[in-house]
Amino acid sequence: MPLKNAHKFTVPHLQVLSEKGTLDKKLDPGLSETQLLRLYRAMTLAREADQRMLRLQRQGRMGTFSPSTGQEAAACGPMLALSERDWLVPAFRELGAMLMRGVPLHRILLFWGGWEEGNVFPGVERTLPIAVIVASQIPHAAGVAYSLKYRGEKDAAVVCYFGDGATSEGDFHEGMNFAAVWKAPVVFICQNNHWAISTPQEKQTGSKTFAQKAIAYGIPGIQVDGNDPLAMYKATRDALDRANNGEGPTMIEALTYRVSMHTTADDPSKYRDTAEVEVWKSRDPLIRLRNLLNERGLWGEEKEAALLAEIKGEIDAEVRIYEHGIEARSDIAFDHVFASPGVELEEQRAAFLESRGGGSTNA
Amino acid sequence: MFEFKLPDLGEGIHEGEILKWYVAVGDTIAEDESLVDIETDKAAVTIPSPKGGTVVSLGGNVGDTVDVGMVITTIDDGDNASSAATPAAAQTRKAPAPEVEATPASAADPASTPRSETVKTPASAVTDPASTPHSASPLRVGPVPAAPATRRKAREMGLDLHMVPGSGPAGRVSLEDLERFAAGGGTATDAEEDLSASAGAISPGETGGIPFLEIEALPDFRRYGAIETKPVRSIRRKVAKKMTTSMILVPHVALMEEVDVTQLETFRRREKARREGQPGGHLSLLSFVTKAVTECLKAFPEFNASLDHFKGEIVYKTYYNIGIAADTPKGLMVPVIRGTDSKSILQIAADIERLGSAARDGKIAVADLQGGSFTITNVGPIAGKQLIPTINHPEVAILGMGRADEQAVVRDGDIVIRTILPVTLTFDHRIVDGADAARFMKKLVMLLSEPLNWLTEL
Ligand SMILES: Cc1ncc(C[n+]2csc(CCOP(=O)(O)OP(=O)(O)O)c2C)c(N)n1
Ligand SMILES: [Mg+2]
Repeated sequence: MPLKNAHKFTVPHLQVLSEKGTLDKKLDPGLSETQLLRLYRAMTLAREADQRMLRLQRQGRMGTFSPSTGQEAAACGPMLALSERDWLVPAFRELGAMLMRGVPLHRILLFWGGWEEGNVFPGVERTLPIAVIVASQIPHAAGVAYSLKYRGEKDAAVVCYFGDGATSEGDFHEGMNFAAVWKAPVVFICQNNHWAISTPQEKQTGSKTFAQKAIAYGIPGIQVDGNDPLAMYKATRDALDRANNGEGPTMIEALTYRVSMHTTADDPSKYRDTAEVEVWKSRDPLIRLRNLLNERGLWGEEKEAALLAEIKGEIDAEVRIYEHGIEARSDIAFDHVFASPGVELEEQRAAFLESRGGGSTNA
Repeated sequence: MFEFKLPDLGEGIHEGEILKWYVAVGDTIAEDESLVDIETDKAAVTIPSPKGGTVVSLGGNVGDTVDVGMVITTIDDGDNASSAATPAAAQTRKAPAPEVEATPASAADPASTPRSETVKTPASAVTDPASTPHSASPLRVGPVPAAPATRRKAREMGLDLHMVPGSGPAGRVSLEDLERFAAGGGTATDAEEDLSASAGAISPGETGGIPFLEIEALPDFRRYGAIETKPVRSIRRKVAKKMTTSMILVPHVALMEEVDVTQLETFRRREKARREGQPGGHLSLLSFVTKAVTECLKAFPEFNASLDHFKGEIVYKTYYNIGIAADTPKGLMVPVIRGTDSKSILQIAADIERLGSAARDGKIAVADLQGGSFTITNVGPIAGKQLIPTINHPEVAILGMGRADEQAVVRDGDIVIRTILPVTLTFDHRIVDGADAARFMKKLVMLLSEPLNWLTEL
């Protein structure tokens, strides 16, 4: 008997605004001026905050963190499509997405500074904290999405970010499979930044694309130019529409690049070619969007300078809150052992405080 | 006045080396402007200034090693409320630099303005450094178990945890242990610091407790002509440290031999021509020697061991990881070929090629420089008939290869031309004896001179 095709599949690639600045009129999602400006501001804020965090870490004012410079389009583009009803489930390299969500920068600084308070975002709803455990957030996202469906919240969906490396984890499989089987309203965004610490894409997967992994779960997978903010917006918009229509999850592979080090404790020159980095630096998503704004007469040098000054002021203020705004107690660890600490624990706390010379407030 | 302490630049970094200052004392600097380049085990990074103001002092020279927590820059930021910094038990370990007196830490008043080139000593380090016995060994080596609070307290007290007997499980040091120890008159940190002084900053006249050893002051070379100086840094310093330690610690004995590799060379050349272009296809003589040494290590496990002088036991390794000394632009590095017992000669040749070039390009991973159980050094390709290599401590032995050349030798009463490879086996006489080494060598000679017999054994 001749072989028949059991199933055919394709993996589309989406680009709306090319590196050279050509806009595909048919695919253009038609963002308003306000939306475009909001997006550009968010991406610039993400870049500036990222650079500032790097300096803070080098100065010993903050701990290790994972820089996101170069990935602003992949992080911010999708957020423009989210409503307040939707959930954001980040990994650890989506600074821009979290800021767009309204998470105050100082909370993120607190997180990387080692403060538990950095996991709490007052006034910001439906947003999970940073997930450093690679891929752990994927089953969480699937679960949250399933609960939305279960409760009949038809207007809400989940956007979940993770990296190329995360696709090698069991959690990825479990989350994708569960979400696909239950048609949970979730958009999986895989930021393929080409590296998982020192592991390159070729060593991460035998697949040609990450997007095609979606096919195995029976959901659409699309590869998107992750440095094209318009394409990232459009792909997410379409996926959210699918989710809201009860059609289940979508996986988006955002082709982008980790221009900086993996974390501040890493030296990428030990394992990758600087030539490769230079190529990607020239594909800066900020420049791409700025050129579009310039072309439409929405931007100029003066506006750029004003924006940078404004953003610097904002970041300064957040750094001040981070460094001075939170009361620290040396005995805080005792608070979280039992819901109601017993006598013994209180005795230990007292002994501990005494050994530290009485006071409990201490930075 | 703002005192900037060297932060932990990676995760769990304890020290870094100063590569470059962007400012000098008296300069003004703005917040976030580049201040200094520091290289740690993990990466070289530029540190931007955390404050704006006038630079009052710098905590070290280029080439110095600075501990995390040490004040590396004092900046007058116009804020008079001087940050009442407790002097951390952290120090600069100086690289021997020109024009700097190599004086050991003086118990300077920590309140006095820090001079840029002075090594600061913790307040409690009142022991006269000159009388600190340098042979005094700390109670233990390696990390000492203790809670962060205890560590901090020890730092504040200027105590070295290695010196403090711990009463807890596995010798865990508690706050009470610290106090007990302090009450009994503790040894100050500088004993340990001097022991570990990586740059070798010592005073003339020191003896290290060894009779007749006197390290004389150096003459002023400038009296005899122009000179240039360069700090001993980075890999150079590591090599210096390792070699000195090995030479002082290990009684070295060297056994030399000349191996007739004529047959092996004929075979090798033929194979090489056949395999040209494939990985490892250049099939160096070194790769054959590496395999042969592995066979010898299997037969004589005491050469694949380490002496744990702390525990008084010999550690036998059941893995065969051969380090190959590589000449790199930065100096000597020893990439390690793992599991040579289960690799073919071709695979070994490919590994040597790959790791050697990674080392030369400065791209080698730290993991590939660790875990060796025996080292081979091959100076032959450059020049040199014989060399006596220094053992790569804590390994037991090292094999040196000279230049293989054609020589006139006597075989069966005739003078014939043969290819002769000179080899030297340097070994640790504490663990193995001359006769052991001779047996090792005999097998090596057999394997390399009669490769056809060896084939059947593989
Ligand atoms: C479960 C788990 N394993 C290992 C790690 C260590 N780790 C942190 S990030 C990372 C690589 C992640 O790569 P990728 O998913 O591509 O994300 P990227 O860092 O490139 O943003 C690893 C292995 C971790 N945090 N969690
Ligand atoms: Mg990645």
